[in-house]
Amino acid sequence: MDLYAQFIDTLVQYQFEINRYITSSIRTAKTEGNLYNSAIVIGIAFLYGLIHAAGPGHGKALISFYFSTNKSDYTGALKLGYLISIVHALSAIVSTFVIFFIISTMFRQNFNDYSNLSIKISSALIILVGLYIIISSYISRFKRDEDIPKNKSKYALAIGAGIVPCPGVMTIVLFCIMLKQYVLGILAAISMSIGMGLTISVVGILSIMLNKKANSFINQKAYILEILGGLLIILLGAFLFYSTIITSP
Amino acid sequence: MNILLKYSMKYLLSILIFTTLSFAHPHTFIEVYPTVYSKNKNIDKINIKWVIDEITSMMLIMEFDVNGNGKIDKDENQFIHDNYFASLEQYNFYMDIQSKKSTSLPVIPENFKATIKDNKIVYNFDIQEVVKIPNIKINFKDETLFVGMILKEEYINIASNDKKLTNIFGIN
Repeated sequence: MDLYAQFIDTLVQYQFEINRYITSSIRTAKTEGNLYNSAIVIGIAFLYGLIHAAGPGHGKALISFYFSTNKSDYTGALKLGYLISIVHALSAIVSTFVIFFIISTMFRQNFNDYSNLSIKISSALIILVGLYIIISSYISRFKRDEDIPKNKSKYALAIGAGIVPCPGVMTIVLFCIMLKQYVLGILAAISMSIGMGLTISVVGILSIMLNKKANSFINQKAYILEILGGLLIILLGAFLFYSTIITSP
Repeated sequence: MNILLKYSMKYLLSILIFTTLSFAHPHTFIEVYPTVYSKNKNIDKINIKWVIDEITSMMLIMEFDVNGNGKIDKDENQFIHDNYFASLEQYNFYMDIQSKKSTSLPVIPENFKATIKDNKIVYNFDIQEVVKIPNIKINFKDETLFVGMILKEEYINIASNDKKLTNIFGIN
């Protein structure tokens, strides 16, 4: 087994153990109902988010490309990481509640349909962000010293990457809904998103560190990398869209 | 320009790695309990038991246990087989079986039975023909990473004295 496969295997094992532990903790919180058990659930949810986001997905590739090709500071990476995880978790909470209460009799099929639709919307947004980065980088290629606002594309990227509801959060929220532990479900989802945000932010910070080294060499031609980054983000969006087509029944 | 090329290559390599692995990660976990039956030191059949995690099971039970009697009846079992289990053929039932001569041998499950135990859905099935091929190796995995397959040494049961048969699962 190669190193990456071992890493993924270890992540899967940890997630399995946490998944099992969180399930039994939610049940205990329901039967015994004290604050201590609820606090344990929220604490484990944070850890689950931390490890869950370390696996493939959750916008890490996008944030990595974004910060590898755009100038920003560590605070910016932290903000964007948390913005993605907040959108990711909110989308999961809202969609789980809405889908469960409106169409609970055919939950599973509709969950799949909804998930497919949200991935399509997300991929379209990601492609738009890529286009925005390319166009703004090209237009501002000779104005490197001016303060060019980049926040607009950051928010768009956060929505694009985070709008696909996190199935990990959805399953925890769903389990709580079924056990009628609504508040605990929402608190666990928030705690999980804080954990995910931390992991995603670390990826962003690492990308900025790489970018700083690159910029010292190629400051004058940085816009070419930005355009390349935009193209790669478009490719990721296209791949995401394509994946919904080939997995559709 | 060389540096630009170098970084461009780095990004292209990154995208190749990320795009193949970025969009899936396990949200369902299946514990795998294999029981190996042998005759004259050769494998005769393997019974596989899948225990699906409680959260996923809860959703599945809502759909599977149509009459709500807390168990899977014969017609419900047939529904699960036809609508859920059979479609896993495209993932080779989350198994990768290799022999010295060929890779990814197809799995043909028999005697499928679904049950509910301790709030969890349990699938039970046998595989016979393919396991009779000498020197096979079996891995339980979902290439798409949507399902996390969990196999621990203590989950393996050898229904004979030949304990070395655990080797087929890569556990010595």
